[in-house]
Amino acid sequence: MNIRCFQRNFSAALPPLVPLQLPSPMETHLWYILPDEVKSVALLNQYSELLSPCERENVNRMCGDQLKKRALLARALVRTTIARYQMNCEINPRSLKFRKNIYGKPEVEWQNEDNFSPLPLHFNISHTTSMIACGVTVNVPIGIDVEEKQRRIKNNITAFAQRYFSPYEVKLLTAISDPEVQCQEFIKLWTLKEAYVKALGKGFSAVPFKTFTIQFRAPAIRNLHPPGISVSEASEEIVESSNDPTNLTNNWQLALLEVAGSHYAAICMERDKTVGGEANMPMKLTVRKTIPFVEDVCVSGTDAVLALGGIIEQ
Amino acid sequence: MAILKALKLFAATPYTSSPLIIESDSRVALSWLNSIGKTTATTRVSGLKLVSFMNQGRSSLSFNLRPMLALLRISCAAKPETVDKVCAIVRKQLALPNDKPVTGDSKFAELGAASLDTVEIVMGLEEEFGITVEEDNAQSIATVQDAADLIEKVCSEKSA
Repeated sequence: MNIRCFQRNFSAALPPLVPLQLPSPMETHLWYILPDEVKSVALLNQYSELLSPCERENVNRMCGDQLKKRALLARALVRTTIARYQMNCEINPRSLKFRKNIYGKPEVEWQNEDNFSPLPLHFNISHTTSMIACGVTVNVPIGIDVEEKQRRIKNNITAFAQRYFSPYEVKLLTAISDPEVQCQEFIKLWTLKEAYVKALGKGFSAVPFKTFTIQFRAPAIRNLHPPGISVSEASEEIVESSNDPTNLTNNWQLALLEVAGSHYAAICMERDKTVGGEANMPMKLTVRKTIPFVEDVCVSGTDAVLALGGIIEQ
Repeated sequence: MAILKALKLFAATPYTSSPLIIESDSRVALSWLNSIGKTTATTRVSGLKLVSFMNQGRSSLSFNLRPMLALLRISCAAKPETVDKVCAIVRKQLALPNDKPVTGDSKFAELGAASLDTVEIVMGLEEEFGITVEEDNAQSIATVQDAADLIEKVCSEKSA
């Protein structure tokens, strides 16, 4: 027997993914990878093995090695993340199938197999050059968006806001005199709006950014928590009443974080109406940094995750 | 009117570097088109179904084609100069190195453009060409060629 060959095969076997409980209702699990931390070509090849032939083809179509790596990591993150939430039997990340809903939003296509019930799991991914993130919820849709904090906006911010944001938001942004701060507030608003649209899952054009307003609300009682974030119809006056039908916050919960000191991450999830409680219930959040099969680090409650807006419980 | 316009285009267009774009919501019309002969054809689904192909100088079309032609909308694809300008704006927005090729067929997603990049690109194009692009049109742009075609469409509607 060729021992060297045997050893090589043995070391190529991936350790199993650490299994996890599903998020509870009103809870989000946020997973992220920092592509710069994944350098091993062997590991990247192993991730490539997890993808479907179609996904591999899409990865190869990306222009340049960095983009290919990013696309590969994104698919590997989605597959391995979902596979962790096994209930009765192990899910092989390679065997997961995906499809798009009628508006193009990706979702899991659970296979009809004996002894296997589909998980009521929703996910959404977002990526930038330096971070790929995947949010997971149970029972309700989720949308996430991440952007680099230091991202430079090439167009004039006021013009950009006037073009895409609601009047209330434009007023708020143009009142900021410091260009750096204005840029950061712009990016925060953008990620929140993007997360909302992605959670809705109907595409950019179904809910144009101009038609809704995101607002940071000062909390009435919860002085220790960051302020809540509301989303409401742009045409109406911002009303505090939670019974207001134009206040979309009745249905959707938003949160904004700073992650790893470098990115803004916005999360939007639908409120689970079957769960009782007041409209201002916090979003439970667990954030994990991961390199699938290598390490998972829970970073909730550390400096890596700063709550910037929304009522969040880490 | 649409039929006459179609016939004129068929008759007048020699084999040039600007392909015809023929759009239709009708699968039947498109498969008919595919069957009457073409040099290149690309179909894409994005609300509209697009087929673009080179006209081979056919100037005579029989009248039983009328019902089919009525289902088609025909226009000309963007000029190469427009495509070049779009490539330049995309390159600048995405900070692409010079050795990375950007052509009409380049897909924004494959160049690494995320949502904010695509919107910035559209704004850059609006500024460069002095036009406004509707949000749902902006969403249907997948390649550089799509952007160039849309720009020319909006420009011609503006001057009409």
